[in-house]
Amino acid sequence: MRSIRLENVTKSYRGEIILEHLNLTIPSGKIFALLGPSGSGKTTILRLIAGFDMVDSGAIYLGNRNITHVPINQRRVNTVFQHYALFPHMNVFDNVAYSQRIKGLAQDVIEEKVIKVLKTVHLEKHTYKSIQQLSGGQQQRVALARAIINEPDVLLLDEPLAALDPQLRDRMLLELIDLQSTLNTTFVYVTHDQSEALTVADHMAVLNTDGMIEQIGTPKEIYEFPASSFVAQFIGTTNLFFGRLLTHHGQYSIDIPEVGICAVVLPEGKSWREGAQWYISVRPEKITINKKALPHFSNTVQGIVTSIMYQGSFTHYNVKVGDKIMQVFEQNEEHFAKEPIDYDDMVYVQWQKENSVLLER
Amino acid sequence: MTGLSKRNLKQLFREQIPFFLSIPSLIWQILFFYIPTILIIGLSFVAMTGYGFTLYNYWLCCTVTYAFIIARSLLAAFITSFCCVLIAYPVCYYLALSIERAKNFLLFLLILPFWTSVMVQIYAWFFVLERHGLINTILLRLHLITQPVALLNSSIAVYIVMIYCYLPFMIMPLYAQLEKLDTRLLDASADLGATAWQTFTRITLPLSVPGIRTGFFLVLVPSFGELAIPALLSGGKQLFVGSVISQFFISAREPHLGAAFTVMSCIALAAAVGLMYMAFSWFSTPAERNAL
Repeated sequence: MRSIRLENVTKSYRGEIILEHLNLTIPSGKIFALLGPSGSGKTTILRLIAGFDMVDSGAIYLGNRNITHVPINQRRVNTVFQHYALFPHMNVFDNVAYSQRIKGLAQDVIEEKVIKVLKTVHLEKHTYKSIQQLSGGQQQRVALARAIINEPDVLLLDEPLAALDPQLRDRMLLELIDLQSTLNTTFVYVTHDQSEALTVADHMAVLNTDGMIEQIGTPKEIYEFPASSFVAQFIGTTNLFFGRLLTHHGQYSIDIPEVGICAVVLPEGKSWREGAQWYISVRPEKITINKKALPHFSNTVQGIVTSIMYQGSFTHYNVKVGDKIMQVFEQNEEHFAKEPIDYDDMVYVQWQKENSVLLER
Repeated sequence: MTGLSKRNLKQLFREQIPFFLSIPSLIWQILFFYIPTILIIGLSFVAMTGYGFTLYNYWLCCTVTYAFIIARSLLAAFITSFCCVLIAYPVCYYLALSIERAKNFLLFLLILPFWTSVMVQIYAWFFVLERHGLINTILLRLHLITQPVALLNSSIAVYIVMIYCYLPFMIMPLYAQLEKLDTRLLDASADLGATAWQTFTRITLPLSVPGIRTGFFLVLVPSFGELAIPALLSGGKQLFVGSVISQFFISAREPHLGAAFTVMSCIALAAAVGLMYMAFSWFSTPAERNAL
């Protein structure tokens, strides 16, 4: 269980800069997710920590130890690969025992450790099966077992569930969380799937396409209080507008062209001036939609329903407001809505000012 | 009724198109491989008088001399195959795993000599190996030797040219195998603590066994029966299986003995191939190796 610190790391491949002056601290004993679109350099960060690639400049610390120039096979870090990279010519036992044989441990010690770790990942019944006989989920568990038998300080997971079907993925996510609390190892979880990251992570970093960190925080902080329009759009769905800040008797609002003036709450500690251009982000599930305007809402705009997508637990409405489309998620709390909303209906879209987030960029 | 059966016939014909397409090569194989093989085997059991079943042909072939010839040919074939593996492996490894650009072009350059007729290749080697040939000239100029070395008419010459001529048969399957190797497995091995050498012996080498095996047999089998290279470069000093068979049939006009000797050679080769096959599969499964 160690923390990881990347200091001023720069890395380029074939003349193309992937990471530039990156600083990142990954706390110990937690699941830390690196989330970003493809090409954001999240896998590069993982490869640098594992030691598959070396930094161009900067330093990497594991705990207090500088591991920048430590070769890959001497780092106390193990990886679960995206496509598992299991050795096809070995059975389950030999795959898991691989690192222990490299260490030159005695056969009976190895056997004991392998059996124990296979029990941890619920594979004890498949010990002597060949890799080709296993299902995707079982192969995933072998990859996990092979990586954790070494008791690494840090376990790196590179899109570990990308190849699994959705239901199995959800189950494996919960198992991963369990496994982490059992092992108490630092997990670094790389994914492009925001729902995976939100589920699994204690803390997460969001990277943008330029390999820069947009925001670091808990999943809740990142979802509810995104630091930038990129994060707001990349995590979940949001309604993002751009407008001018107005102030009137100590009340603040944003003038969004074609939509109207929306009351907002200024984030604490931000410098502001009247007339500054801000983004405003409102999550679709924080908005209500009704044919009649309800009282006690700080923001009410009128629009026309352009599409209705029934999703089971909620319904996704697109409402044309001015020249913009607003998305609204309405929980389907009852079998039949009291007041059915149809295409082309004139509706009121309402939300509280506390539920909007102001963003500088 | 008839319409239906006609349609069924058409359907059947369509399903069997691959079979029909293979008929010409099947006929070719039967005419020029299976029938001659059966004839040779049959001939080996026929008495020299031309009538009746006998084992006498085999009895006549069971001499130390012939056994030595078969053994020598096997040894030559094995040495050729092993040397081809040793030479081809680093080349293929480099081509398949270490470089990214111009792979196919470099492979093409390696295979290019193969486009020349084998006879031309053999005669070209005369100029390299002869008393005043390329090698001797270079060695003399460098003052490494004072007298030209006799390279021609020796088993060294036979081996050099055999290896040269059969090398492409090793390079092609081996390159194809190494090219297929998932380099993420090498990452995984290093990640699990293995040194580069451990990764090579435990991952790369076992996973390239199918390619080595294919190449090994592609070299072993034809080099066992190679006729031209030993005949031309050993100066007739050393007899190999190929030359003995051709002598039996062409010069000595002893087809019955020739057939018996051919069958014996084939059995020896098949036994050697079988043993090597077992050795290869033992090597590529670490479970069995670790059990030792």
